[in-house]
Amino acid sequence: MSLLHRIEHPRDALAWEGDMPTLGRYTAGIAGEKFFRAIQEHGQFLGTVCPICEIVYVPPRLYCEQCFEHLDEWIEISPIGWVHTFTLVHLDLDGNPLPEPLPLAFIQLDGADGGLVHFLDEIDPEQIFVGMPVEAVFKDPAERKGSILDIAYFRPV
Amino acid sequence: MSGNRVAVVGAGMTKFVRRAQETAKELAWEATHLALESCDMTLDDIDAVIIGTAPDAFDAVHMKSEYLSDGCGGWGKPVIRGYVGGGTGVFAPIQGWYHVASGLFDTVLVVCEEKMSSCQPHPQGAFLTIFDHTTERPLEPNLLWIFALEMNAYMNRYGLDKRDIATVAVKNKRNAADHPAALLGDANITLEDILNTEVLAWPVQRGDVSPVTDGAVALVMSAEHVARRVTNKPVWVEGVGWTLDTAYWTNRDLSYPVYVEEAARMAYKMAGITEPRQQIHIAEPYDPFDYKELHHLEGLMLFDKGEAPRAAADGVTQRDGDLPVCPSGGLLGVGNPIAAAGLMKVAEIFWQLRGEAGARQVPGSPKRGLAQAWGDLMQVGTVIVMGV
Ligand SMILES: [Zn+2]
Repeated sequence: MSLLHRIEHPRDALAWEGDMPTLGRYTAGIAGEKFFRAIQEHGQFLGTVCPICEIVYVPPRLYCEQCFEHLDEWIEISPIGWVHTFTLVHLDLDGNPLPEPLPLAFIQLDGADGGLVHFLDEIDPEQIFVGMPVEAVFKDPAERKGSILDIAYFRPV
Repeated sequence: MSGNRVAVVGAGMTKFVRRAQETAKELAWEATHLALESCDMTLDDIDAVIIGTAPDAFDAVHMKSEYLSDGCGGWGKPVIRGYVGGGTGVFAPIQGWYHVASGLFDTVLVVCEEKMSSCQPHPQGAFLTIFDHTTERPLEPNLLWIFALEMNAYMNRYGLDKRDIATVAVKNKRNAADHPAALLGDANITLEDILNTEVLAWPVQRGDVSPVTDGAVALVMSAEHVARRVTNKPVWVEGVGWTLDTAYWTNRDLSYPVYVEEAARMAYKMAGITEPRQQIHIAEPYDPFDYKELHHLEGLMLFDKGEAPRAAADGVTQRDGDLPVCPSGGLLGVGNPIAAAGLMKVAEIFWQLRGEAGARQVPGSPKRGLAQAWGDLMQVGTVIVMGV
């Protein structure tokens, strides 16, 4: 069909709508369950260690993806890290402007290989820089649900 | 046989369960780790990874095999996803075969995973859109419609009744009682138990259907020079075949799976099989529904059309019969985590031909077996023939 034969309005062709009605229900998994319970109950990060590859996985994993060993050495990880990279989000998912640009960062946690993507707050967005030291701010224990949102945001230290 | 010789040298699987706490990645890792351990290999021995997994909607993760890849041993390796719907579990080892037979790789992992409990309220929801959006979806069909119409067409064509077919469910659930990974094994189940289950869409009743399941299965496949080094019991891939029938299910003969016959002919030709009824000693046809085992046995030309139910009634397909069929317990008994279920059948042939099937071992040291799966828009047949 050439460009000239394209329909210009939806009503020019018979059409109807339908959806794929499924809802995802996810588990955190064996390692993930332990990670999120530690956040919920103790406001604490846990990681797993691969002694062979010398990798500290945060979030923790049940196995090492590089050597494939089962990982059962758990350590506490500091809530402090640094901004590996960041962005300021200006539009919501529907393309509408946000009231304020939303700072979002990949935070490399101290003593871990890898880290978390999360919000930054208690800072002027103009002041954020790569390498900036930050720490996790947890919600009140009563508000925590065992979710990544139990971390309210990261803030400068 | 075309290409270099390829053997299955290791296999592993998780328990098949209704709801796994493990993530899909963790399930895949457990099966893959067991498969590597079974042949004393590590990821260093693996040149490429084939991941078989059915619709993304089941795990509710788009780009599902990429998500799964680290649990399948794919870190830093060539990885490919195979996907032909329900036929995937037998198609993935076919891909494993040609990755090695081509000479490109010496050893590959084949990993199949499904975590259907992620898909709520029921995995059926993901299938509503496989029907033609203009001619069928306004009728609000679900997947059971196809199976009910197909089962009834099969029953009418050969004058069968429900009892002729429900024997398959009884056999497979009893066989599964001997499978340590099975979800629905039951050594004492009876024909009446199956016939008394609720009607879903006549003639399909609950007892005719395999369960929604979570699980993973993995194989290690190697070229001959590696296989001979790592094991004294390699199980050779002798033939593979796969075909698609028309996408219009209203243009198929629903009483006969011609797509299975064509896939079987391709695999038999490659394996040099001219008399399948003499040369195949053990079969794992796809049995998501009890009638499908019979349907597929006929498509595989292991019985004449319409004759599989009589053979089943006569005990021919029992574990100690002339042609043991689904000695694993099949999808009806072990469970049906779609892609993983098909690969479970291939793993079962591997264990049976090596004499390692434990309480499920069929007598008489079988030398050649086949596994078959079915899926896509209910029109793909995938067949693998293996031998020792
Ligand atoms: Zn490691």
